[in-house]
Amino acid sequence: MTRPTITALVVLVGLLLLADLLVVNSALQDVAGVVVDAAILVAAGAALAAGASLVTRRLGDLWRRRGDPIGALLVVAGVAAMLVAGMRPGSSGSDDPAVQWLLAALLIPIGATLFGLLFVSTVAAARRSVAGGSREAVVLVTATTITVLLLLPLAGSIGSWLSDASGWMLGTAVASVFRGLLIGIALLGAVYAARTMLGIGSADE
Amino acid sequence: MSDRRPPWSLLAPALLLVLLGVAWLLPDLDVLGLEADDDGPQADVRATLDGLGPAPLVLIGFDADLGTYAEVRPTVRTLIADLLVRDARIAFVSLTVEGRALATSEQARLRRGEANANRMLDLGFIPAAEAGLVDLTRSIRPDDDAGALAFAREVSTAGMAAFDAIIVVGGNDLGPRSWIEQVAPRIAPTPIVAITPSVLLPEVLPYVASGQLAALIGTPGDGAAYRSAAEVGSLERLVEAGGPRSLPILVGLLIAAGAMGQALVARLVGTTRSLADRDRA
Repeated sequence: MTRPTITALVVLVGLLLLADLLVVNSALQDVAGVVVDAAILVAAGAALAAGASLVTRRLGDLWRRRGDPIGALLVVAGVAAMLVAGMRPGSSGSDDPAVQWLLAALLIPIGATLFGLLFVSTVAAARRSVAGGSREAVVLVTATTITVLLLLPLAGSIGSWLSDASGWMLGTAVASVFRGLLIGIALLGAVYAARTMLGIGSADE
Repeated sequence: MSDRRPPWSLLAPALLLVLLGVAWLLPDLDVLGLEADDDGPQADVRATLDGLGPAPLVLIGFDADLGTYAEVRPTVRTLIADLLVRDARIAFVSLTVEGRALATSEQARLRRGEANANRMLDLGFIPAAEAGLVDLTRSIRPDDDAGALAFAREVSTAGMAAFDAIIVVGGNDLGPRSWIEQVAPRIAPTPIVAITPSVLLPEVLPYVASGQLAALIGTPGDGAAYRSAAEVGSLERLVEAGGPRSLPILVGLLIAAGAMGQALVARLVGTTRSLADRDRA
C-alpha cells in the first residue's frame, strides 16, 4: 500500500470517528464501531506479531551465534518462563501465583531499576552537553538545575516558598512551553497530512 | 580512543548508591518535609470523593508503567483503601501491557489483604490504547467469571454510565490526556481524578486549570499530603507501610543539582578565561 493511500485511510477513519462523536446517528455509530473493533484487533495482532518476531529474531541470533548471545538467551528464557507460568495446564492465567511472582519479584523491580539508572545517565548527558559548548544545552541545564533546587523537600517557611515557586515554574513556565510544543506538533502533523493527501511534495521529492 | 575521565568519576555511580543507601538508613530530619500544602491537590481529591455519594461505582484506568510506578504506588494504594473504606465498588481496566501487569499485581495484593472481593471487578486488558478507550465508551463486557457479581451485571448493562467517577493511574505510555480526549467527550459528565508521576506534570496540569480533571496528584509532595490526610480506618493493612522518605530524595536532588551546577560553573569559568585571553591578545 502506498503512503498516500495509508494517509487517506487514516484521515477517512479519523473523519468517521469525528463524525460519530458529533452526530447522533445509529448507522454511523455501527460503522464507527466496526472500525474501532477492527483497530483493536489489528493492534492486538500487531502486538502478538511483534512478540513473535522478537523471539524468532533472538532464537536466530542464538542459532547463528551472532549479536549478544546472553541477551538473546535472557529474552527467550524470560518469554518462555512467562508463557509456561501463565499457559500451563491448570494455570489461572495472569492471576496465577507463578505469574504474579514473576511480575512482583522480577519484572517490576527490574523495570524500576532500569528507570532509576536514568538518574546517572541523564545527569551525565547533561554534563556532557554543557561541556560540549552548546548554548541551548547551557540554557536547558540551567533551567533544570533551578527546577531541581526548587523541588528540594524542605519544611517550614522556606519549604513553603520553594513549593510555591516550583508550582509556578511547573504550572506556568514549563507547562505553557510544553503545551506550545504539543500544539505546534499537532499543527505540523495536520499540515503534513493535508500535503500528502493533496499530493504536494517538498522540492527535493 | 582513551578514556580521559578522572578515576573518581568512574566510581561516581557506586558512590551515589552508597550515599543514597546511607541517606535511606538515617532518620529524617525535622527541617525536611515532603508534604505539600494541605489545601492543595489532595484537598481536591478528597472533595471529589466526598461528593460521590454513598457506595459509588468507580472505574480505575490502571496504566502505570514499570519505571515510574514506584513514585505513585503508595498514593495509589492509599487511594484504593480510601475508596473501599467509603464502600465504593471499584473496577480495574488497563490499556497498556505494563499497566495490566501492575493492575493484576495490585489486585492480587488486595485479595491477599482480604479486601472485599464483591466490591472489585477486573475488566481486564483492552489492546489498541486510544481505540480501546473509545471501545470502552461503547460497551463494557466483563469476563464470564465476573458475571455472577451484581456489580458486573450493572456495569455490563449501563456501560460507562454506571460509574460515578474515573480514577486514572497514568504512566509514560497512556495517561489522563488520552482519557480526557477519548472518553470524556463521549460520556455524561463524570469526574476524572488522576494520579501520575511528576514526569507527566507539564502535560496534565493544563487539564486541571481547565477543569477537565477534577483533581490531580502529580508530585511526590502532593501524594504525601494526600496519604497523611486520608482516613482509611480498618483498611490500614491495604496501605503501603512507609512511603518515599525526604532525606534520600534531598540527597539525590542535591547530587543532581551539584553535578549539573559544577558543569555550568566549569563552562562559565572556561568561557571567562577564553574571553580574558582574547582581550590580552
